[in-house]
Amino acid sequence: MEEEKAQPTPARDHANMEERALSVFASERNEDITAMVLTFLSALIVLVFTKWI
Amino acid sequence: MANGAQATSPRGYSIIFGVIMIAYGLIIRSGALTGLLKALHTHKDADLQMTLCFVLGGIGIVVGLFNLLREPRDTIVDNYILKSAPGVLFLLLLAMVIRWYLEPIVDIWSKAAAPTLGFNFAKIFNLNYVVLGIIVGIVMTNTIGIPSFAAQGVKTARFVLKMGVITLGARYSLAELANLGQVSIWMIGFFVIGTVLVVLWLGKLLNTPHSMTGVLSAGMGVCGVSATVACAPVVKAKSHEMAYTIGTILLWGVGCMFLFPTIGKIIGMNPTQFGAWAGTGILNSAQVAAAALAFNAVDIKTLKVAEIFNITRVLFLPIVVLVLAYWFSKVSDEGAGRKLSIKEVLIDKFPLFVLGFILMFILSSTGVFGPPEHYKGKYLDFSYNQRSELTPEELEVLGAFLANPEGLKKLTDPELATLKDLHKQRQLAGKYSERNDKKAFHAKGKERMVAIQSILAAKKIKDKKVTHALKHSIKQVHKKSKTVVVLTDLMIWFFAYGLIGLGMQITRQAVMQAGGMPLVIGAVSGTLKAVLSLIVVLLLIKDLV
Repeated sequence: MEEEKAQPTPARDHANMEERALSVFASERNEDITAMVLTFLSALIVLVFTKWI
Repeated sequence: MANGAQATSPRGYSIIFGVIMIAYGLIIRSGALTGLLKALHTHKDADLQMTLCFVLGGIGIVVGLFNLLREPRDTIVDNYILKSAPGVLFLLLLAMVIRWYLEPIVDIWSKAAAPTLGFNFAKIFNLNYVVLGIIVGIVMTNTIGIPSFAAQGVKTARFVLKMGVITLGARYSLAELANLGQVSIWMIGFFVIGTVLVVLWLGKLLNTPHSMTGVLSAGMGVCGVSATVACAPVVKAKSHEMAYTIGTILLWGVGCMFLFPTIGKIIGMNPTQFGAWAGTGILNSAQVAAAALAFNAVDIKTLKVAEIFNITRVLFLPIVVLVLAYWFSKVSDEGAGRKLSIKEVLIDKFPLFVLGFILMFILSSTGVFGPPEHYKGKYLDFSYNQRSELTPEELEVLGAFLANPEGLKKLTDPELATLKDLHKQRQLAGKYSERNDKKAFHAKGKERMVAIQSILAAKKIKDKKVTHALKHSIKQVHKKSKTVVVLTDLMIWFFAYGLIGLGMQITRQAVMQAGGMPLVIGAVSGTLKAVLSLIVVLLLIKDLV
């Protein structure tokens, strides 16, 4: 806590920014798999409505 | 401001954003904004705007009520959806404002300022939703800061950006690459991969972070902004590195756009040579077109050649993504003092979402989303179809024009033959006798289309009704795959959302810390590419590509 207080403001701001950059996912692998599944699901829905129906 | 993220409850904000969206949807439905939407040329999207606002607003209210009525727990639904919802809705709202209002307004201003400035600044500086999204994010984070309720939602930006990159694969196809000339493929391939390697080498020499070098190599090697966005997650580039790369590319391109035509004229390049050089050396597509037109505004050949080279470059994007994914997983672990085997790099460390992008590209190349030869969903269709035919009035005008030998004097024999065939077949098509040989039929159709484009570009026909009919005949064979169009729209939303979120992570300090090294690397590699491609073009390309 003491250390955190001693940090200069720009460094603390930067640390906050780094924190924000973190993903909501537990690991990058999970993030990638979820992105793939959701994207291909979206593509399938688009195909169904634009080409197959 | 984000420090308060833990203390402030974000529970009610989803309801507020939900209500704002539904209210906007109702205003659109009432027709009160029709005049404004028409002025902004977004009135065709009115139904989409309304539907999106009702659906997303409804979801926002339901999630908000759920948040209010129930104590938060440590479940997947709480962590991934409920806590992120206010931030997600906030980013969506910003994306809507950018796509439906800010982008069209900038476009209108740019067009209005074009006669005074002499160029369209929105096109030249690529001020589309991508750049505007980043700018809005940067301005917000460096002025009022990220609202505490949105902190958790902003963390979904990288994930959504990856969805955009995967969808990007649907826009390209391998068949389009095969359609291009051998010279352009080899030359562009050499320069794209060569530039990527030169930038990586310069980065090593100047000791810049791997992520910065990686993203800059993609931007300088391929086509600027979209390559930067696609490759940023591959090399785990930080947001400010991405913004830095985009800035470097755009500024470099603006300089080239003014310099290239002047140099081309001093050296005495022919239209084909200049088109090839501009298509190789300048990064941004709009800047390539502007330079080609500045060099030769009368003959369409320069622009066509420049476009061919530009398209070829973009089609190398999947290869560059693979090269960078391999390079980054190797250098990042070598930096940690461990050497990886090829198997480890390709299987264990390879970013999975890149496989999604490649899979989408393969699906697109097999023709699932549109004809296999499409490029960004667009393709040429010369097959016989009543919808491709000219109107009876247009046919009459064309017939009368062909019957008068005076007007035909300026036309070459192939051009005259093309017009006669257009009148006979009622549409732009290949040779009737070759209708069963699809390849030959398509090639002839394309040849005839180029002939008509040349007639129009050289203004060989003065009769406005005839030129209108000719333009219509070309328009009728240009088709678009509806699936790719919708997927592209989806991709735009993913990118707009992701880039606003990433822009919010770019602070002044972060950019200052990056220093001027990326600009030096960009300028050195860009100059090297421009000079070398000029020499190769002058040596190899005489007239035909």
